[in-house]
Amino acid sequence: MSADLRAILKRTVLTLGFAALAAPIAGQWVNHPTRGLPRTADGKPDLSAPTPRTRDGQVDLSGIWLSERDPKGTPSGIEGNVAPRYLINIMTDLKPDEVPFQPWAEALYKQRGANLFRDNPMIRCLPAGVPRLDAYPHPYKIIQTPELIVVLYEAQTIFRQIFVDGRALPKDPEPSWMGYSVGRWDGDVLVVETAGFNDQTWLDGSGHPHTEAMRVTERFRRVNVGRMEIEIVIDDPKAYTKPLKYTQPQVLLPDTELLEYICAENAKPVGPGPK
Amino acid sequence: MRSHRLFALGVAAAAALFSTTADGQWLNYPTPGTPRLPDGKPNLSAPAPRTSDGKPDLTGVWRGAGPLYRFNIAQDLEPGDVQPWAEELFLKRLHDFRKDSPLSHCLPVSVPFHNFFNMTRIVQTPALTLVLYESPNSPHRTVFTDGRELPKDPNPTWLGYSIGRWEGDTLVVTTTGFNDSGWLDSAGHPQTESLRLTERIRRRDFGHLDFDMTIDDPKVFTKPFTIKTTRLLAPDTDLLEDVCENESDRAHMTGDSGVRVSPALLATYAGVYELGPGRQVAFTVVSDMLWVRGLNEPKLPLLAKSDTQFMSTANPLGYEFVKDAQGNVTQVIVRGGANGTQKGVRTAASPRR
Repeated sequence: MSADLRAILKRTVLTLGFAALAAPIAGQWVNHPTRGLPRTADGKPDLSAPTPRTRDGQVDLSGIWLSERDPKGTPSGIEGNVAPRYLINIMTDLKPDEVPFQPWAEALYKQRGANLFRDNPMIRCLPAGVPRLDAYPHPYKIIQTPELIVVLYEAQTIFRQIFVDGRALPKDPEPSWMGYSVGRWDGDVLVVETAGFNDQTWLDGSGHPHTEAMRVTERFRRVNVGRMEIEIVIDDPKAYTKPLKYTQPQVLLPDTELLEYICAENAKPVGPGPK
Repeated sequence: MRSHRLFALGVAAAAALFSTTADGQWLNYPTPGTPRLPDGKPNLSAPAPRTSDGKPDLTGVWRGAGPLYRFNIAQDLEPGDVQPWAEELFLKRLHDFRKDSPLSHCLPVSVPFHNFFNMTRIVQTPALTLVLYESPNSPHRTVFTDGRELPKDPNPTWLGYSIGRWEGDTLVVTTTGFNDSGWLDSAGHPQTESLRLTERIRRRDFGHLDFDMTIDDPKVFTKPFTIKTTRLLAPDTDLLEDVCENESDRAHMTGDSGVRVSPALLATYAGVYELGPGRQVAFTVVSDMLWVRGLNEPKLPLLAKSDTQFMSTANPLGYEFVKDAQGNVTQVIVRGGANGTQKGVRTAASPRR
């Protein structure tokens, strides 16, 4: 995807809270060729080449990724972009009456909608959190080392650490926006367990809530050079009567770089919502 | 356990702007690969580790480079080393109680500030090195070591564009492409788009980084200068999440109090005061302001709270001057220091400027 397109994407006014986002228009190194990327005879990235591996034979997830736009989606917003499938509503595959809400969670969800999503933490430049960032329309970069996998998010220039050194999840963690993540390899799939969340983030743009009891399991499967799937399971019995599961595909962005994106730079007061 | 960090947050007036987690997790998790003494403690003087390609491995969690320059990056400079407009802006920001600090807007402050402040995790790979800052607001930097050049006409950013190259065992990181919104220190020295930052990082042994920063911003300083620091490894711990979510507190920042003390009165306070054997604090008058130096505190201008009471960025509780029956200034009371309230007795020495 070109830098221009990314800039356009960022400027796109997606409803449900994205109006508050703004970002720099241009970046640098956005055309820098990615090292080690397999290429076709004409020099273009060979995105269908086999999944790369590290020196020790493990699947290598390293690269700049972007959640795939919904293949069934329709253009929306002023500039007619297609959002990732689970950006706005992680329950999009369910009928409204199939959402396994606990009653209080349904009431809060409806209240957020009635308030025109003005309480979306994103509007105040707070982190989108996990797993919402897996379906976010901003690139992120995975750097894989044997004991630590780091995810650098372009959105809000925040990072996430996934420890793969065998440690267990903390027992009584201080609630956090991004949670605490540990990963292990199940064959070629990286299984990441995350817990220790605060209850402030929204699971999607439409405001599905969660509690501090949420536990997220993400299964990262790199299909080939250019494609990865993240299967997401959200288990939060205090908010939902059964686990939620969806798979958000990711596409590699070759020959580019992350841009700096400091949300608070363009923060504006949030206007009053309907009472 | 993390009291040093809470203290660091607590000393400044800006502390109210932060919310921070009181405790974190994995703070006692043994870092894999750490050489240990027989009693199990990390052997911080063991040789620096190396990567499989033989380069020194800078990977680890490192403490901030310390408060001295974080409060005033220019403290080793003479007033004439700072361009007049920059000095004027610095003093204005100070009088305004730093209400427009990037910190008070939940923005990154500057790369030097982040280097001085709190923990940093470095993750080194052959083609790039990550710099993950704990706070404020947990941003990340990438230093490319794949041979690329700095971008020619970059879009200005808070954290700049960084490339690194090895000079022997020293990683030399050059960063340009900054915006002019950053503050080089918490007191408010500005940076401009002409800033070129060079960090020279050498892992002296397992537990110590020689960490030098050269600030070259000709629009702000008349000449480049280098700050030499040592950063200590923080073994068996981890970064905390630090999300700035109290921007609403900005409304409580009042700005300039308007309190000014005449240079003539300030001159009566100038001098060296002894708090104890070998422990002195000195006050000078520069640019119609009283400056403090000593007690391991950074050289900083003081803001007047009244005719006799003053505060600094680093010490909001501050300093109070006391006169004797004849009206001579004989003592200073220092509050809020590490040793609680202390009295300093005026000596005959004159302060160096």
